[in-house]
Amino acid sequence: MKNLKKSYEKLYKIKPLMRFKTIISTLEGIVFGTSEITAGAPHFVDNMDIKRYMSIAIIALIPSAAAAVYFFKLHAVELILVSYISGGIAEVLFALIRKKDIEEGFLVTGLIFPLILPPSTPLWVASVGIIFGVIFGKELFGGTGRNIFNPALVGRLFVTISFPQIMTSSWQLPFVDTVTAATPLGLFKTAHVLTPYIKLLLGTSAGSMGETFRIGVIIGGLFLMFTRVSNWRIPFSYIGTVLLLSWIGNFFLPAKIAPPLFQLLSGGLLFGAMFMATDPVTSPYTLPGKLIFGFLAGIVTILIRAFSGYAEGVMFSIIMMNGFTPLIDSFVINLKYRPLRNER
Amino acid sequence: MIIKKRKFTGGYTFKNFKGEPSDELVKPEIPERVIIPLKQGFGDEVNAAVKKGDSVTAGQIIGINDESISSPVHSTVNGTVEDIKKAEYFGRLINTVVIKSDVTPDFKPHEAGTSSWKNLPEEKLEEVLYMAGVTSLGRSGIPTRYKSSAILPGEVEHIIIDGVQSDIYNLSLTLLLAGKGLNQFIEGIDILKAIMPRASVHIAVNKYQKSIIKKIDESADNRKINIYPLDPKYPQGYDEVIIPTILGREFPFGFNAFNMGIIVLDIQAVLHVYEAVVLKKPLIERLIALAGPGFTENFHIKVRIGTQIDYIVKNRVKPDTSLRYILNSPLWGNTVTDLSLPVDRTVNCISCLVEDRDGEAFSFARPGISKDSYSKTFAANYFPFKKTINTNTHGEERACIFCNYCQDVCPSGLVPHLLYHYVERDMVDDILLRYRIFNCIDCNLCGYVCPSKINPAMYIKQGREKLTGMGINPKESVLRRFKLKGVKENKQVNSEYYNGDKS
Repeated sequence: MKNLKKSYEKLYKIKPLMRFKTIISTLEGIVFGTSEITAGAPHFVDNMDIKRYMSIAIIALIPSAAAAVYFFKLHAVELILVSYISGGIAEVLFALIRKKDIEEGFLVTGLIFPLILPPSTPLWVASVGIIFGVIFGKELFGGTGRNIFNPALVGRLFVTISFPQIMTSSWQLPFVDTVTAATPLGLFKTAHVLTPYIKLLLGTSAGSMGETFRIGVIIGGLFLMFTRVSNWRIPFSYIGTVLLLSWIGNFFLPAKIAPPLFQLLSGGLLFGAMFMATDPVTSPYTLPGKLIFGFLAGIVTILIRAFSGYAEGVMFSIIMMNGFTPLIDSFVINLKYRPLRNER
Repeated sequence: MIIKKRKFTGGYTFKNFKGEPSDELVKPEIPERVIIPLKQGFGDEVNAAVKKGDSVTAGQIIGINDESISSPVHSTVNGTVEDIKKAEYFGRLINTVVIKSDVTPDFKPHEAGTSSWKNLPEEKLEEVLYMAGVTSLGRSGIPTRYKSSAILPGEVEHIIIDGVQSDIYNLSLTLLLAGKGLNQFIEGIDILKAIMPRASVHIAVNKYQKSIIKKIDESADNRKINIYPLDPKYPQGYDEVIIPTILGREFPFGFNAFNMGIIVLDIQAVLHVYEAVVLKKPLIERLIALAGPGFTENFHIKVRIGTQIDYIVKNRVKPDTSLRYILNSPLWGNTVTDLSLPVDRTVNCISCLVEDRDGEAFSFARPGISKDSYSKTFAANYFPFKKTINTNTHGEERACIFCNYCQDVCPSGLVPHLLYHYVERDMVDDILLRYRIFNCIDCNLCGYVCPSKINPAMYIKQGREKLTGMGINPKESVLRRFKLKGVKENKQVNSEYYNGDKS
């Protein structure tokens, strides 16, 4: 391994390749590990790094991704590949322009994005969406860690608004190639039909690719919380608020607001709460702020689901609350740290 | 009396690392040359009381200053003074006395000590402790009427003895309290109580050392001693953390524990108190742990104070390896760049880590059965294998992703990444005071846990230096809320003390 590393390091001496230095050094980091050492105290550091952080998020998404491939066969694989390739090209181009290492955050964005698309989305739409999400959701703000909105959601929102025909009307059922149906939430809105809960849990109802197999989503989400990669506060307050509000709402307005358990198991609520609202960059860092974030996102979700033209409100609510994140944080921080008074 | 269930929020437990010192004790030969800094432990630098060419005996006072807050410094070997010179000792320029030794092990006992100390008047007892140099131990010194601390013995309300073992490498309690050690420890507490009659005694012990807790409780009899079994969670041993944990009192950050009328000592300091009074032994020797995988064997060693580090480590480290020596803990200690520097009264441990510049192939994708992590993503979190420790960063530096780890572990309730963002962008002004930048206790945990390999602790330190450079004194705002003792006396000592390392 050492000899291999030495011969790899010779690449840095080839002049024409220096234009692609960021790619070479990123690959070196992945394959050989870092040769950096600590500068001073603490003289030894945690073994966790961003690569592993993002890898754990990807592992948590595997049940959903596998279910998507199982349900929708080749097209699901194609969508994931298209998302990774076209988003990856955008990411690498920006890394070359900024002359910084390629950031690992994209690996998660690139997998989440196809999982929140309708199964019959054309490949070109997916490609446009992820490129828009990466560039306008992340890179223009300065890359991973500096973005305000979740890049996968930015891409999804862009294609939803740009191609409404494709994105809201073509829901495909698992294992069936041609039949299109409405999503459980759409069915409730238009025909007031409650899809059976077992169907919702196992994923044999219509919906976005990754969100329908809800057992897998719950397992993945719990895994993330258990490994300390995500914090339990946002899913807890988000889902809790939706359950509480729909319980109250269903009591007074049963025609508009579906019962709590149906709200929980339909649409993208679980997937959104577990994987997208918990994105550390775009959600508040203060612990009370996380609770506030989930609470407000829950209210918005219920309002959109019940009273708007859209059947689903998770995506809008999360992206809306992403915008409020800095405000929530500074509110909590200013409450926590009262000004010091210099009285002597 | 055993009092259970006290803890603090934040912190992280370092356990089961490779290179932990065993209970074995090695007593090396007397070194041929010692270098004795004239400022050791708490207090100001003292004036040299010997000249070049003087012959000295072990235990003889070679530096004393009765005017300032300080404790005497002793020669630790028999021999002749070779030189008195200014030298840099871990960031501080101080006078040092170089003594060439004749390698004889005996020392000069000081006359005033006695085993029947109970008959001595307080004043005499305080003098014995002061002349033995023991009063400079602990982060705030032991108060006597000889200006060894900024307050008087009568003002002390609580004595806290720290045996929590919260650091990654700790002195072995079993070794310290082995044999007669336990009775000596209890008698040492009696002596401290005799000179500080108002003080109540609290002993904090690692809660997993059940047999030791039991033994201390039994031998404490009906003395009023509170024993607290605490989780060995770093940084529990810090004054700023242990006082709120045990006494439930808010710490006036920026001040010292004695300003609250509290002194915090470790177990070895109490044993030194016993030795000084009953065995008439001045503070010339110290138990030090040799820890870390850089050593071929890890054990404890009893060395004369002033012994050069290379004399201690030579032939005990792995050959042909690039090593990093650290004075005290790898979490907060200084790198030893010059091995000819001596150990002083405050050293508990010499750590030696392997400099690992090689990296590991696909390290992020491995299960990691021996990798420690705050996140629970490695197999080592679930299996009891010994964990590796080296100086590799295990990842490249990336932008902060607000993962909250630093915030969760911070024992002072700060938001380290927030302060980091301000200082990194050079936005250093009053707002940092509001975010309590001066409440940072330099435990470096935020730098340890960061997955983006940023060291917020370093930026916070820079920010504090910039703020003090701008003439901001954060202590002023603290004063109103606390009733503090010895503030005026301490002004000079405290500031100098805070710039240096901790004991």
